[in-house]
Amino acid sequence: MTDPVIADEILPPRASVRDGVDVSTWVWRLALIVGLLVIWQFAAGNLFNEFWSSRPSLIGERLFALVNSGEVWRHVGATVSEALLGLLLGALIGTPIGIALAHYRRAADIVDPFVMGLYGLPRVALAPMFILWFGISLFSKVMMSFSMVVFVFILNVTEGIRTVDRDMIDLMRTMRAPRSYIMRKVTIPSIVPWLLASFRIGIGLSLVGAVVGELIGANRGLGWYVLRAGGQLDTTGVFAGLFLLMMIAMIANQIVFLIERKVLHWRRETR
Amino acid sequence: MTEMPEAPRILLDNVSLAYETPRGRLPVVDRVSLAVQEAEFVVLVGPSGCGKSTILRAVAGLNAAESGVIAVDGKKVDGPPEHIGFMFQKDTLLPWLTVRENIEVGLDLADISPALRARRVADLLGLLRLSEFRDACPAQLSGGMRHRVSLGRMLAYEPAVMLMDEPFGALDFQTKAVMGRELLRIWEAERRSILFVTHDIEEAVALADRVLVFSPRPARIIAEHRIDLPRPRNLRALRASPRFTAYTSAIWEALGDEDPISVAP
Repeated sequence: MTDPVIADEILPPRASVRDGVDVSTWVWRLALIVGLLVIWQFAAGNLFNEFWSSRPSLIGERLFALVNSGEVWRHVGATVSEALLGLLLGALIGTPIGIALAHYRRAADIVDPFVMGLYGLPRVALAPMFILWFGISLFSKVMMSFSMVVFVFILNVTEGIRTVDRDMIDLMRTMRAPRSYIMRKVTIPSIVPWLLASFRIGIGLSLVGAVVGELIGANRGLGWYVLRAGGQLDTTGVFAGLFLLMMIAMIANQIVFLIERKVLHWRRETR
Repeated sequence: MTEMPEAPRILLDNVSLAYETPRGRLPVVDRVSLAVQEAEFVVLVGPSGCGKSTILRAVAGLNAAESGVIAVDGKKVDGPPEHIGFMFQKDTLLPWLTVRENIEVGLDLADISPALRARRVADLLGLLRLSEFRDACPAQLSGGMRHRVSLGRMLAYEPAVMLMDEPFGALDFQTKAVMGRELLRIWEAERRSILFVTHDIEEAVALADRVLVFSPRPARIIAEHRIDLPRPRNLRALRASPRFTAYTSAIWEALGDEDPISVAP
């Protein structure tokens, strides 16, 4: 399978699925993060005023307090549901569009500049319109998130279908396979790796969409929490929010990784 | 067309084929006529890129002929005909299916009863020495094993006509010899019609009832050799026999001085 890259957000699927990393990698990862936190902890207050950067211990306390009061779930819940709904909606709508564009080359040629135009448009600029249309409800953030993600699915699925092995399809044709059979046995399984790659990129982008939506108008969510903390010159609050966002992205990535390992087991060479 | 008492399995009458390229029409095959009879093993040899594969694809209904008539079992080819099997140089296995599921693809499409189907798959796995790998995925197999699966998939639905496009061309010398032996063993047991493309002259003589030699593109038939070597053939003994050598050198001569493998496509 050829894996051409035509834009930043088209990520060719991994050539093969790795098994998890080994223990020593985890030890090094832990050492790295602990080392950085220690440096931060001692630099803040000694090398520069801790007002600018807060300190890991303060951030930890804040996170603890947020969890204890239960407030954390209100924000995490809001941001995760916005991002997740945006991501799923993007997959649900982007995938069929991608399939259609790959199938109808003529139509694809006609709409190509418009799709690329929309794709190139900074989606953040759409936020005022989404607020106007959908208010500051959940829905405007979902749409923001969707607008970030949908192109990833359109472009990856189109590219995925275009790289389906022609010989496989020809071989199916010599067996007089109906189109539906070819679709089921060849086309769809060959785009699964591209779909999973889209989810991997989509996670980050859907969070961007949700947070941008919250920055512009909201009364909850991690984006809103970070913005409010910043407004109150509360760097500890800002970092606590960022930490939670990062955790969400990492957990979501791990989930996709586990799904990939299960679904794409056939890519693993076990010899 | 002259009708013979029994129609040949494959018939090409004055067939020309061309490709459309950005620089215009590229003639690939020039007025070729040939026939493959029931249970006959015909091999096409010629320089790489001369258009042999295009002929095969046209017989399979994957490319349309520019002029002339192609018929399989007396029916004019217009899209893939019934009861043909095709094998590419690449194994074209579906990597997400197991060995068994790949072999079953042909049976899925042939509408065969489940009992018969299970038996046939088991027989084939045995015949091709793949039984212990029935649940492996292609990524776990060697190139030679993948080609055996590919052969199994074609044999499974028992096509009356087999079209093979350099099926062993990507394999190393030894695996290629083994695959050739397997193919002969199977074909000598249940004779079907085979149209086989290769640029390996020794392979051609070892397998064929008849070898058709093609010119460089646009392909024309420039020589025809009936290979009167006894069957079942023992490939190792064959290579040492003077008649085998006589056939191969005759074909080398027909191809001219050019090294058939190094001619640019």
